Amino acid sequence: MTSPEESVLDIRGQVCPSSLLTTLRLLNMNAESLRRGEMQVRVLTDSRDAVVTIPNAAANMGFHALIEKSPAGHYEVVISHVAN
Amino acid sequence: MTLSVIFVATALLLVGLAAGFVMHRSDFCMAGAFRDLFLFRSAFMLRPLFLLIVMASVLFETERQLGLIDVPFPFFTAPTLFSLLGGVLFGFGMVIAGGCVMGVLYKLGSGSRPALFALAGLVFGSALYAEWHSYLAPLVKQTTLTKKMTLPQLIGLPALWLVLVFVLLGSTVLWRWWRGGRLQRFSQVTSYLQPWQAALILALLSAVSAAVAGVPFGVTTSYLKWAAGLEQWFFPEHMSGMTLFIVQPVQLVLPFSGAVITGGAGPALDAVALIQYPLIGGIVLGAAFSTWRLREWCWRGRVPVRQLVAAFAGGILMAFGSRLSPGCNVWHLWGGLPIFALSSILFVMGLFPGAWLGSRFIARVVFSKET
Repeated sequence: MTSPEESVLDIRGQVCPSSLLTTLRLLNMNAESLRRGEMQVRVLTDSRDAVVTIPNAAANMGFHALIEKSPAGHYEVVISHVAN
Repeated sequence: MTLSVIFVATALLLVGLAAGFVMHRSDFCMAGAFRDLFLFRSAFMLRPLFLLIVMASVLFETERQLGLIDVPFPFFTAPTLFSLLGGVLFGFGMVIAGGCVMGVLYKLGSGSRPALFALAGLVFGSALYAEWHSYLAPLVKQTTLTKKMTLPQLIGLPALWLVLVFVLLGSTVLWRWWRGGRLQRFSQVTSYLQPWQAALILALLSAVSAAVAGVPFGVTTSYLKWAAGLEQWFFPEHMSGMTLFIVQPVQLVLPFSGAVITGGAGPALDAVALIQYPLIGGIVLGAAFSTWRLREWCWRGRVPVRQLVAAFAGGILMAFGSRLSPGCNVWHLWGGLPIFALSSILFVMGLFPGAWLGSRFIARVVFSKET
């Protein structure tokens, strides 16, 4: 099974609510690829609020979100179709 | 007198440090609270904000009964049409800036570059307002709606009764929210502080500020002072002729010594500087400390120019809104609403349409076609 292609969205430093709006736009644009498991989205954000709102929004769209904290200080939210 | 000054400055610095720390840990963003209602149909952050107002109402009334504070607080004015219009302007500004006057401070402390631009906008907007103050101030006064300053004064009832009714009804609503799990949310960020916990702490800090300084949280006159300082440096003759920067309407009775010091919007280190600068510095440092402790300091990422321009413009609008009302969202939400100040009720009513307009603007203009 091939690994899904990863699209990286770096929104560190941006004004709220750019994190959620931009992520939702990307998820909507690639919804079919995400549902087929061909793609996953990795969101880089330093917004603590986004680490709550993005996974909730992804779940509402039927996706799963895994949160990792980078040693560099930001958070990475990985959104995919399969459960982690 | 020196000891009294040191006491006030130290107490407010500690209050600011705690407030900045708590706001960062819980991401207690008041701009987001109003914005997300319209942008994402989420009222989550409005609930802990309501808890803060209810709690502050109890604390301020207790302090008033104990003779620790005067209500209405000094510098609250009679309501005018501009109380409402100022709220609309402020609501729009805080949404496009990405934070209100306090939000900008704690976000600046945690490393936000747009917050720096919003702060610059606040100072620039204050300088712009100062140019038009002599025309706008009489106009604002002409739209005075009543000489009464608070709802209890207007309807002729003791404030205690209104506080009791408000707290009873408010507690019922809060209890229902608590039972329904609507005051909590799950978060995987490190050391997340639930906003309802932050609300209780911030209400307590606001009460401490009122007991020490005689007024609740307020920071926007400082932006006027910084604007005055810059004008004094670059345009000293022009600045010396501006009455807004010369008059000293603020009088502060220092605790223990009873000495009175005055202050105003001019650049001098005076009563206003004493009660606002330690608070401002404390909020920025408190948030910075929290960020550093969590190892979340992050100065990376490309911020689109459009967002920086919006942050600066939002700061200008917030400056105007807070001068016209007068007072910012924190002054009115955390200080005025709990004492049923009429100007605050109108200001907060104005925040809603302002935030609605701001939400539409950022969705269509600021964040369009960005990745």
